[in-house]
Amino acid sequence: MKPLAHVIFALALASFQAALLRWVGGGAFSLALPAACVVYVALHGGNVDGSISAAGVGYVMDLMTGSPKGLMTFLAVALFLGVRGTSAAVDVRSRSGFAVLSGFGALFLSVGALLLGRYTAAPGSAPGATLIPRMLVEAVLTGALSPLVLAGLRRVDGLFHREEPGLLR
Amino acid sequence: MFALLKRYRELILVAVLLLVPLGVFFAHAKAPTERSRLDRAVVWLATPVEKAIGWALTGVMNTWSGYVALRGAHDRAARLASEVRTLQLERQQLLAGRAEVERLRRLLALAEESPERRYLGARVIGVRLGTVGLQVLTVDRGSADGIARMMPVVVAEGVVGRVNAVSSSSADVLVLTDRNSSIAVRVDRTRARANVRGLGRPDGAKLDYALRAEDMIEGDLLVTSGTDGVFPRGLPVGKVTQLERTGHGLFQEARVVPAVDVTRLEEVLVITSWERSGDVMPAAMAPGSLK
Repeated sequence: MKPLAHVIFALALASFQAALLRWVGGGAFSLALPAACVVYVALHGGNVDGSISAAGVGYVMDLMTGSPKGLMTFLAVALFLGVRGTSAAVDVRSRSGFAVLSGFGALFLSVGALLLGRYTAAPGSAPGATLIPRMLVEAVLTGALSPLVLAGLRRVDGLFHREEPGLLR
Repeated sequence: MFALLKRYRELILVAVLLLVPLGVFFAHAKAPTERSRLDRAVVWLATPVEKAIGWALTGVMNTWSGYVALRGAHDRAARLASEVRTLQLERQQLLAGRAEVERLRRLLALAEESPERRYLGARVIGVRLGTVGLQVLTVDRGSADGIARMMPVVVAEGVVGRVNAVSSSSADVLVLTDRNSSIAVRVDRTRARANVRGLGRPDGAKLDYALRAEDMIEGDLLVTSGTDGVFPRGLPVGKVTQLERTGHGLFQEARVVPAVDVTRLEEVLVITSWERSGDVMPAAMAPGSLK
């Protein structure tokens, strides 16, 4: 149930992001807020439900970004694994750490999509290195806004949290 | 086998979630396919959310720009209105300055046209164009500046009048529309002679002693003839209008529209001396002879 809630949250977040970007800048810059969702499920979820959530969020990103089917799903699961590996080495608890990871996550998704896009696209239409500054801006902005995503996802997870009676606090 | 699957189920799941999308991507990357039913359903679900968020954001933005962002707008408007008033005043001053420069430039051009004449510029400081008494303008130059009675006063458009009374620092100019003013003129087109006499109001004069036989039509320009010993010849006086020739009498009658609107004068030129062909300036008109 939790993975479904995460996917629905990611869907709402992607919709919010699309509506927000229309108003703020009119598309002059971009955001990848669902990347923060993937980072969150990698940090706070289990292997099974986390990977399913990540795949679901990736699927939502596939749909909302219009990328070739499967691309963002694959990258989201890969990001999940990467963050999972990072959290095994480094304990990420603070909001700033989450923001940094989210920024790198957004950059990972962008660069991964760029490389895979270059691999499969026709030479004339392949995405180029000129997108890199835009990707960096996207990563920074995503990192900056990711604490809000963190707060939202904590609320979503709070819906599934049950107090066990009799436990001392 | 089952135990093996159970043991590595997490790893297998993750591998499936990783590899299946990659396979799907490579399968569809070069030949994009239509959205599946599931895709369409998800997008169908997302569309109202997006619309609702867009609507809410629009409302927030409109509220912000229409109300919250207008905080302080009244003060800003008051400040801008004050600035506008100041700028309007400055603009008026600049326009007035420009008009003055233009008038002075024309006066200067008039003075340069006739180097044989000597001019003295003066500002109009008083106007008395009432129905009672003389029609005079007071200028800020007097006998101390070399002004004397009977000196002609002109502007670029033509004759204003003549100096009537002088004090040490100011002078009264009897304008050509005064009843007591009479200026010898010629019709510029035919050289016919006549006199222009004032009617006692600022906008009109009449033609005197214009012989019936003289060729004269409405609109003819009248210029000073120089025969009255006051005005140099050739200065515009006015235009003939309402010309009437009766069946009897020696003269024809006409009204004259003065070349100069005396109600709008601000600066004038007093001709203090001029060369006249064969004539000399009357002693009575020489600067300083009459006060």
